[in-house]
Amino acid sequence: MKTMKWLIKREMWENKGMLLWTPLAIAGAIAALVLSALAMGHTQDIQVDGHSLNSITIEGTARLRIAETLAQAYIGTGMPVLMVLGLLVFFYCLNALHDERRDRSLLFWKSLPVSDFTTVLSKALLALVVAPLITMGIAIVLGLVMLLATCVVLLTHGTNLFGVVLSSPDLYLSPLRLVGLLPVYILWALPTVGWLLMVSSMARSKVFLWAVGTPVIVTLLLVWAQKALMFGIDAAWFANHITNRILLGVVPGAWLAFSKSDISIAHQEHKLPLPDAIFSASWSTLGGISVWLGAAAGIGMIAVAVYMRRRREEA
Amino acid sequence: MSAVITANKLVKQYGKQNALDGASFSVEAGRIVGLIGPNGSGKTTTLKAILGLTQFSGELSVLGLDPRTQREALMNEVCFIADVAILPRWLKVRDAINFVEGVHPRFDRSKAEKYIANTKLRPDMKVKAMSKGMVVQLHLALVMAIDAQLLVLDEPTLGLDILYRKQFYQNLLEDYFDENKTILITTHQIEEVEHILTDLMFIENGKISLSATMDEVGERFTEVMVEPQFAAAANALQPLSQRTVFGKPVMLFDGADRAQLANFGELRTPSVTDLFVATMKGSYA
Repeated sequence: MKTMKWLIKREMWENKGMLLWTPLAIAGAIAALVLSALAMGHTQDIQVDGHSLNSITIEGTARLRIAETLAQAYIGTGMPVLMVLGLLVFFYCLNALHDERRDRSLLFWKSLPVSDFTTVLSKALLALVVAPLITMGIAIVLGLVMLLATCVVLLTHGTNLFGVVLSSPDLYLSPLRLVGLLPVYILWALPTVGWLLMVSSMARSKVFLWAVGTPVIVTLLLVWAQKALMFGIDAAWFANHITNRILLGVVPGAWLAFSKSDISIAHQEHKLPLPDAIFSASWSTLGGISVWLGAAAGIGMIAVAVYMRRRREEA
Repeated sequence: MSAVITANKLVKQYGKQNALDGASFSVEAGRIVGLIGPNGSGKTTTLKAILGLTQFSGELSVLGLDPRTQREALMNEVCFIADVAILPRWLKVRDAINFVEGVHPRFDRSKAEKYIANTKLRPDMKVKAMSKGMVVQLHLALVMAIDAQLLVLDEPTLGLDILYRKQFYQNLLEDYFDENKTILITTHQIEEVEHILTDLMFIENGKISLSATMDEVGERFTEVMVEPQFAAAANALQPLSQRTVFGKPVMLFDGADRAQLANFGELRTPSVTDLFVATMKGSYA
């Protein structure tokens, strides 16, 4: 356990720029843009839930509804940061087992009593747990800053929402819902993380080309075989179930596309608030078999990566 | 004394090339062994086999463990510096010490810090800001603070200037080595290690061609600065090699009678370098 702690720290030392400063910079940029827009008075036409908020004091149910919407939606301002998470995890995994061979530090790490299994596990944990938690944390803080700014601006226009927003349970549930999606993210990201770690452990050079080129070219070949040679292959199935899953699984929310979930239906027909609908639709994707097959394949590919790190010799 | 390493008929093939071709040897505890051989003779492959970094056939026991299957246990007792500059560029001195302390049960932090205090290394220095010599100092500081039974050094001073090289071996001898530790070194800079070695192993074409203590080497090999008038007689005793210094032939003999050789001229104990050159003459032919 102590070893794992240090291995995770090690990964953070190496990748701090990517895993911490990139999302922070993006969050900072978003905050700066929005705050300066608010400060410079480009707020003539703020609308929340169809109500214009220009210098009118809003009261009654409209006020409650606005507060409720804000408390539910503020996490949404962190969406750009969460989208970056997909990129970060993708490139982190791609380099995780390749960089140590390229800079020849592999032999130093191997001179320490740390097994290949533990090392690869630490890298998978970083990609699947630590990096998402960091990004979620940043997204939540960004959302809170935006919420605070919005409330301050509304206050200057005569509407004080602080009390209502602070007493809204959604304010506290939203971050929990976001973090509560982590298990869903882990399961759906496993095939991609496994694939990338495996390629990272195998490719001598041009890791990106191997990781992306291989599945894309195979897909194109299959499409060609299907169209030109009339083979009875379902190339679209391959593209959806293999190529997309091993390349795009690290994108947060990709599971909704993969499982073609009924999220919009739940939102419209049952009048569920959108965050609730997303949350429950996400968890309901775990009811299908494909997520579990993918996760198993991901674990299998991580096992191959462990084997490769153990057996592979320096050229 | 017990054997730290016993190897029996190690074979390793890269394609059709035999990197190791039935190498057998043993290394006793408390020795400093130089594994010397020309390029491509199988030195590095031997070390990799000992460290469990490569697959091979044959029997090999290191501290009673099989490096192929018990690598993690072995790494608690064995340390190695495989080449210069293999510490990652982003690593800070402080982080390096913290990390090794965190994962290695036999790491003594105070030893590493004491050693680093005598260098120009500072805790928040990154490897990429260090000179080659400083990187090796850091690596040595980490390794010397580990109470390992076997230390393997593969060209540890490659690319270092003479000051760093001298200091490296001096530190190794004074601050690290004791009767419970065994050091296995490969290097091409033979003249720099020969005075610290207790044992010598020559490897040639994947086989061990000589394995002896330095005392045995001194007894067995004799160099004679032959007076010109005895040259023919000396030649009849089939010297291993012959070269000319100041117009006099210098001949190297293996196992010849010293009293007899003394008649031909001045006797000397050959340097390991001369011995190496003499015995490896044919290896590139």
